[in-house]
Amino acid sequence: MNLDTFLTWIEDLPLSSAIRGASAGTEWLFPIIETLHVLTLAVVFGSIVMVDLRLVGLTGRGTSVSRLTDETLPWTWTAWVISAITGTLMFMSKAVTYYGNFQFRMKFVFMALAALNMLIFHFGAYRRVGLWDTAVPPTSARIAGALSIGFWVAVIFFGRWIGFTT
Amino acid sequence: MFRSFADWLATTRLSLLFQNQLWIVPTSQSIHIVCVCLVFSSAIMINLRLLGIGVKGRSISQLSASLVPWMWGGLCVLLLTGTVQTIAEPVRQFVTPAFWAKMGMILIVMGMTVVFARKVRANAARWDAAGSRPPSARAFAIASSILWVLIVVCGRFIGYTWAFYV
Repeated sequence: MNLDTFLTWIEDLPLSSAIRGASAGTEWLFPIIETLHVLTLAVVFGSIVMVDLRLVGLTGRGTSVSRLTDETLPWTWTAWVISAITGTLMFMSKAVTYYGNFQFRMKFVFMALAALNMLIFHFGAYRRVGLWDTAVPPTSARIAGALSIGFWVAVIFFGRWIGFTT
Repeated sequence: MFRSFADWLATTRLSLLFQNQLWIVPTSQSIHIVCVCLVFSSAIMINLRLLGIGVKGRSISQLSASLVPWMWGGLCVLLLTGTVQTIAEPVRQFVTPAFWAKMGMILIVMGMTVVFARKVRANAARWDAAGSRPPSARAFAIASSILWVLIVVCGRFIGYTWAFYV
C-alpha cells in the first residue's frame, strides 16, 4: 500500500466523512473541532512563550526558570495533546488535500524545528539550570528562547494559511 | 442595521486594497491569533491562580502585574488587526450575530478585568495571603474564563455563520 492509497483510505473512513460534514447533522463537527484546536493551541503557545520570554531575559528577571518550567510544562503538554488530537481529526477529513498542501507541510517542518530546539536546550544549557536559575540565562538558552518564539509563530502563521490555501 | 454602512465600507479604496492584496487578511488573522494566544493564556493563567490551581511560583499581585500589561498590549493589536479584517470584509462582520456577541463580551470582560486589577493593586497583601481567597475572586475567575472561551468561540464562528445572514 503506498502513501496515496493510505491517505485516501483515511479520507474514506466514516469518521472522516462525518468530520467533513458529508452527511446531514454533521456540518458542525469540523467547526467545533477546529474551535477546540484554537483554544488549546492558545494555551500551548501562551505557555511556551511565557518560558521563552523568561529565557530571553525580557520578563520575570530574577524569578526561577526551573520553577516556571515545572509549573507550565504540564499545561503545555496537555494542551498540545488535545491540539494534536483535534488536528488529526481535521487532517483525516481531507487527508490527501492537506498532505499535499505546502503550508500544512511547512507547519510541521517548523514544529519539528521547535521540538529539536527544545531538545537541544533541554539536554544542553538546561541541564545546568541550577547554576543560572534566577540569573540571566546563558547565551545558548537565550537563543533557544528566541528561536522557539520564532518557530511557534511560524507554526501559527502556516496553520492559519492552510485554511486559505485548501 | 449596519448593512448599508458595511456595503458602503466595502466600496472604499482601503477596503478594496485589503480585498485585492490577498495576503493581507490571512496575515492579519495570523497576527490576530498570536495575540489571542497571549491574551487568552494570560487570562486563564491568572484565573487558574485565583482558583488555586495555577502556577504558584509567584503571588497573585506579581502574576497579575507581569501578565496584565501583555493583555493590554495584545488587546491593542487585536483591535488593530480586527479593524483591518473588518475593513477588508465589512459585511461578513456586521451581519453576523457572533461578531456583535464577541464585541459585547470583550467590553464586559475588559471592564471586569479593569475592576479586578484595580482591586488587586489596592489590596495586594490581602490577595496574596494564601488560603484567604475572597469569594469575589473565584466568581471573577470563573466568569472571566467562560467569557474568554466564548469570545474565542464567537470569533471562530463568525467565519462559520456569516453566510447564513448575508
